[in-house]
Amino acid sequence: MDPFGVLVFLLLGMLNGVVYAMLLFLLSSGLTVVFGMLGVLNIAHASFYMLGAYFAYSLVQWTGSFWAALLLAPVAVGGLGVLVERFLLRKAHQFGHSHELLLTFGLAYIILEIVKWIWGTGSHPMNAPVRLDESLPILGQVYPTYRLFICALGLCVLVALGLLLFRTRLGMIVRAAVSDFSMVDALGFNVRALFVGVFGVGAGLAGLAGVIAAPLLSVYPGMGSDMLVDTFIVVVVGGLGSLKGALIASFILGELQSFGVLIIPRLAMIFSFLLMTLVLIWRPMGLFGERV
Amino acid sequence: MISGGRRAASIGLVLAGLGCAPLLLTTPRLYSFTEVVILALFAVSYNLLFGYLGLLSFGHSAYFGLGAYATALVLFHWHGLPVLLAVVLGTAAGALGGIVIGNFCVRLSGPYFAMLTLAFGQLLFAIAWKWRALTRGDDGFGEFVKHATFPLLGTLESPDQRALYYLVVSVIVPVVGGTWLLMTRTPFGNFVVSVRQNEERAVFLGYDVLAIKLVTYTLAAGLAGLAGSLSAIFHDFVSPSAIDLTLSTDVVLMTFIGGTVSFFGPVLGAAFFVYFSDFISALTDRWQIIMGVIFVLIVLFAPGGLVGFLERIPKFRLRSVRSEAPR
Repeated sequence: MDPFGVLVFLLLGMLNGVVYAMLLFLLSSGLTVVFGMLGVLNIAHASFYMLGAYFAYSLVQWTGSFWAALLLAPVAVGGLGVLVERFLLRKAHQFGHSHELLLTFGLAYIILEIVKWIWGTGSHPMNAPVRLDESLPILGQVYPTYRLFICALGLCVLVALGLLLFRTRLGMIVRAAVSDFSMVDALGFNVRALFVGVFGVGAGLAGLAGVIAAPLLSVYPGMGSDMLVDTFIVVVVGGLGSLKGALIASFILGELQSFGVLIIPRLAMIFSFLLMTLVLIWRPMGLFGERV
Repeated sequence: MISGGRRAASIGLVLAGLGCAPLLLTTPRLYSFTEVVILALFAVSYNLLFGYLGLLSFGHSAYFGLGAYATALVLFHWHGLPVLLAVVLGTAAGALGGIVIGNFCVRLSGPYFAMLTLAFGQLLFAIAWKWRALTRGDDGFGEFVKHATFPLLGTLESPDQRALYYLVVSVIVPVVGGTWLLMTRTPFGNFVVSVRQNEERAVFLGYDVLAIKLVTYTLAAGLAGLAGSLSAIFHDFVSPSAIDLTLSTDVVLMTFIGGTVSFFGPVLGAAFFVYFSDFISALTDRWQIIMGVIFVLIVLFAPGGLVGFLERIPKFRLRSVRSEAPR
């Protein structure tokens, strides 16, 4: 292969990695901030991702418009997240963290069964919206436009989230609550209400990831648990509670998966476990985590 | 507390019931009863982690699967092997996996432990799924029990339900009894409970907390491997469903529905899980939703599980693992 060919190969591989990294970041950002605030590890987070994809699938069938699904499905999932926090998680909170974990685990179990009941156990393909289902020529190769759209959308969400968290008063309070929940509570902020909001936004972002993943990976009942493990690896590697860690770990894992599949297809998934194991031996709190 | 005489009587009654079960039950009922016995061992092994050590694992089927595959593979490739040796090898495979993986996991606690066990469980599942040359992947493989030599019986041409039942029970009853004695009657059991109750204090008292956790984790993994090994022999078949996430989540459900505060709570949970799912799956296809709702209700309103309900009946008290000084 000539040097130019190698360069193109590396560039397209990196681009694929970025696409996966964007999905991982949309999922792990909500998970890690929720964990940072109240120490709740939400196992049902990947179920929100799956619900986003299924809602989008049905919305596309009803309305015929991907854009309507992209707008409405995350809102619906976010609303569901608020209900879950308000009526279930809050109740389990008094029994301690292992009960919260078990509750979200039970919810994930129920959501999966309900999804199988309503939509069946088969896989549903979903088309990318018109004009995005084509391919663009890049450096003498063709590349699916939809993947570029995911990168662009992911970057928009990333920037919006960054501005919200680091440039507004609300974001400042959220970050303060991540580092010391009870202190912010004692200062008179209504952190419980804030937490409901953060939980809802996190669920909505997971739903958004589900919508944009649907045309890429198709819609099937195992999509949640497939994504759950990678999301967990991202938050463990990045450090629970750290948004910066989640972002960087998403990119590391995305690229690792992308090049792993290209170079050694059969062992691709071993790499992510290897990464996690090495990070945990070297820094048990993750790359940017502050506590074990 | 049950007095000594009553305890001896109830143990005798349970043993007699287990011994006579094949004479009283029809073949399909004996089949599900054997499954209950195997899953009861699996759930008891799970509860060593949660009930005794306070660690929430979401990848416990890894060891069940290691035991199942190890036993199936040695029987498949090594004709004339004594069946008990295959069971021992399966148990050893589970325990070995427990030492290696546990070495990473027990250093962590809470959500980190949960995530790491989930990840390792999925890794082993992926290996069982992808390594087709060894495991035949999704298809699984069977008909290996006919190669095995059984004590007293020699080789079995066609798997005999009753013979397999007696094999399962005669292995599981002493093992579960021994584990119960270990956890409730020995200093080791006290160490384990002390680690859960106050880890920091146990460290200051000079206990090697990490070693206690690793030994308990390995014990739990070995017992899960034994359950998997017996399950492979009983079904004469093994496939990735012996090592998948569904089995890992089922054992969480069983253990919590039964009750984690008692050594024998998970046994009750396994029985409830098998019989209740049989019962409602006859009524509706969506029985898992009902099981999930029961689980969530127990988490929210009855953290003691079924045993917690039973303990409210006067004079019916199973020993609690949360008691201050287990004897």
